[in-house]
Amino acid sequence: MEFSAAEEYLNSLINKTLRVHATDSRMFVGTFKCTDANRNVVLALTHEYRQPSQKQLAEAAASSSTGTVQAEMTSRYLGLVVVPGEHIVKMEVEQFVSQMKNKSALGQRALYV
Amino acid sequence: MDDDFPPPPSISHPGIVALDITDKFASAVKTLPPGQIVKDGHFTLFESVSALEIMDPKMDSGCLEEGESLDEEYDTARDLLPEEVLGIIDQLLCLEMAWHLGYPLSQTILTSVYVESFLRDPDAPLSSMTFVRGSAPQAKQPKFLFVLRAYCAGMLRACHCVNEIVKDELYYEVCRYAIYLGLPSAPAPKLIVLQEEDFVTNTYDRNFLSHIDLAEVTALLQATRADLRELSNDVPKDLALALDLRLELRVAFLRAMELYPLRRSNPDSLKMPWIQMKALMKHFKKQHELAKSVPEAFSTKMQRRLASTMPPRPIVQLSFDDTHTHFEQMFQDGKDAMDVLKYVDPQSLLHFVSTFQARDPQPLVFIRTMTQGLLFKDMIVLGHHSLRRILDDDLAIVVLPNARQLDPANDTIEVPTDPRHQLAAQMESFRQRAAECYLDLFRIFCQNRCRVRRTLCHSIQQWDHLQADVEEIDGLLQVCLDEKSLTTALGNIGHSLPLSSWAYLYKLRQMEWIVQLGFELDVYQPDELAGMYWYLNYLAKTRAQHGDRIKTFVLRDFTAAQESASWSQTKERNYTRSIAYIRVTMLDAACTWEFADGLCCLYTVLQRLGLVKTPSRPYSNDELRYEIRMKPFVNIGLPQLPSFDDFTKATAQPETSIAELLKYAENAVGGAKKGYEALSRMNDLQTFSVGCNDRWLANIKGCQKSAIYAGIAITALQKAIETEGEDAADLKLKVELPQPGKGYHDWWIVPKLTPTTES
Repeated sequence: MEFSAAEEYLNSLINKTLRVHATDSRMFVGTFKCTDANRNVVLALTHEYRQPSQKQLAEAAASSSTGTVQAEMTSRYLGLVVVPGEHIVKMEVEQFVSQMKNKSALGQRALYV
Repeated sequence: MDDDFPPPPSISHPGIVALDITDKFASAVKTLPPGQIVKDGHFTLFESVSALEIMDPKMDSGCLEEGESLDEEYDTARDLLPEEVLGIIDQLLCLEMAWHLGYPLSQTILTSVYVESFLRDPDAPLSSMTFVRGSAPQAKQPKFLFVLRAYCAGMLRACHCVNEIVKDELYYEVCRYAIYLGLPSAPAPKLIVLQEEDFVTNTYDRNFLSHIDLAEVTALLQATRADLRELSNDVPKDLALALDLRLELRVAFLRAMELYPLRRSNPDSLKMPWIQMKALMKHFKKQHELAKSVPEAFSTKMQRRLASTMPPRPIVQLSFDDTHTHFEQMFQDGKDAMDVLKYVDPQSLLHFVSTFQARDPQPLVFIRTMTQGLLFKDMIVLGHHSLRRILDDDLAIVVLPNARQLDPANDTIEVPTDPRHQLAAQMESFRQRAAECYLDLFRIFCQNRCRVRRTLCHSIQQWDHLQADVEEIDGLLQVCLDEKSLTTALGNIGHSLPLSSWAYLYKLRQMEWIVQLGFELDVYQPDELAGMYWYLNYLAKTRAQHGDRIKTFVLRDFTAAQESASWSQTKERNYTRSIAYIRVTMLDAACTWEFADGLCCLYTVLQRLGLVKTPSRPYSNDELRYEIRMKPFVNIGLPQLPSFDDFTKATAQPETSIAELLKYAENAVGGAKKGYEALSRMNDLQTFSVGCNDRWLANIKGCQKSAIYAGIAITALQKAIETEGEDAADLKLKVELPQPGKGYHDWWIVPKLTPTTES
């Protein structure tokens, strides 16, 4: 990717809600504010999500009547965080289904601006 | 701060999909040259400094060590013996007290595994709050867990009340900080309100049963007590009693919280729960021996689940004996605080508040803020009185007995040309100007001692302005009242200027307090004591002279009123009360004046003899230090701060010989001792200490004792000099200064002279 295109792409993500998965399987969901060449990511208004533990899964399995097991991820509010690039394993951007349908139209409009 | 966390976003919503951008993002950032960043235009790098670094064990409270699990190994559904329930309850008591003493909830109550599982669901009704997940039927649950459950409910609800009371405190030390970052998007100057510095109100986003009615919790506690009684066959009798009394304590505590806002009721009935709690504490110490502690029911891991950016910190371990002592003191103070509602006059009220807060150990923050709430909640003084009433009462005692200005009938006159209408209008503008400063006096004393001194330093600046402003009102009023200036044997002493006289008197008193609290808080070095006692003597002398001026005018009005037709017994009583007040003020000022003068001379002699040494201070000199010490007073118009030269001369008194100085000190201290004796013989009405006479008297007795020992020290020095001469080496004396708080009175640092052993 070229520098200008890359910068444009990163700028388009600013203030989008990102889901950043860390090496210890925690997920951080927050508003993307800043990044640098080392992929350090600053998120604002961040919530931390933790995969349910074995114990919680077992409890959920015991109380579920159907075949599938449902357990909530435990969450906690953290605020402004920086996730160092070395600890990031996966990144996702949240999008509205409704807007994805019109994606092509939006892309075209950018041509005229 | 506790309530404005955003709700967690719903992670699985049908309208939102997450698109994997891992690779695209990674390759995009690779093209950035080193040092280049991509950021939101409104986001400043300064802000990013405050961001939490994930996976850094020092910052990231959610960062787990290798193999560490966030799950608590402790099972809240395990069976508990009754003695273990007692052990957990007693541990919770210790943690609760640690919170009162200033530790955060995260290191105290919220380390309990039981509390954590009890508060799992923030909005659940009380009936569905349990320790056991999935709420198994009552019969299957551990047998004695219901006692702990009720106790926890009572404790948490009580903590909520305490927290609310502390948060309600009227903070008024407000600072404006402009944060200059040199960045275009620097935030506007922020208004930062400093909060209570001895208490942490943060609840870490936990709901301490705020949605549940006090009565419901009380009902649960009472029902639990009844259930416990039915189990009497399964529990040893003394153990059952211990558990029952702890539940009773929770009931009483909630009752106290329920009664506290009812300030209009009889103070004695408000005291009842406090008396009850204090009586219960007596049993607790002995019963604690029955308890079996369960340390594994408390864990620092609980902190990882709190809305906190702080990595776990150790649990605060307070011994049960200390906890017991603190609780007893707290209940005693709580009971005594209710007496503040027995209002007699504003001067007694001020004495009550100042002596109550000067108690050693000082009442806990919770009690201090509760006292403030009792005093001023909703701007209604003590639940009954308007501020105007208190202010007018105070004026009537201090400067204006039976004054026409204070007649409430003036308000009803609507003709603008009538002097009474003008009086009412001027007095109203005075009240609006003075009310805030006056109220602050009471509020200041509800803080910790260091902060009392600090805020007084700000307060005297306010009073200095106030005095100047109300002098104008005085000028307008004396025209309305057609007052003549007074000529005495000393010549023309001008108009009475009652309102500014009143402000001046308070300002002087506060200036003395600042110096006296400096002694109490160990602010001054031994070689500075002579100078600071000289300044205290200077302030007290000014106050005594000012008292004399007020007295002259009150007596003039008194004589004139006696001859008028409207003379009545009520009027006479008011005049007598005012004269009594001035008398006790002047006596108090004279005692301070004499005693401070005596100590100043004594310390000067000790310095001349080299018995109190000046430490070497390579980076400062006396003049610079004087500037720093006197900083709070330098802007005060009246009394003007003496120049450094005058101050040094007055303190060192180079023209006076040692013998003369000691003779003088002996007389001065002797005079102070007699003065304190006279004060201690007066009754509570004469000294304006109704409702707090015991504390007031103890204070005077402490001063008196200090004066006696100061006299002894002076005599010892005189004798040594008579026999050995004025050479320090021959005197064979050693000077010891008492440790802070260990003297006979905190405000009077009396040196102790002991003979050195022959070498």
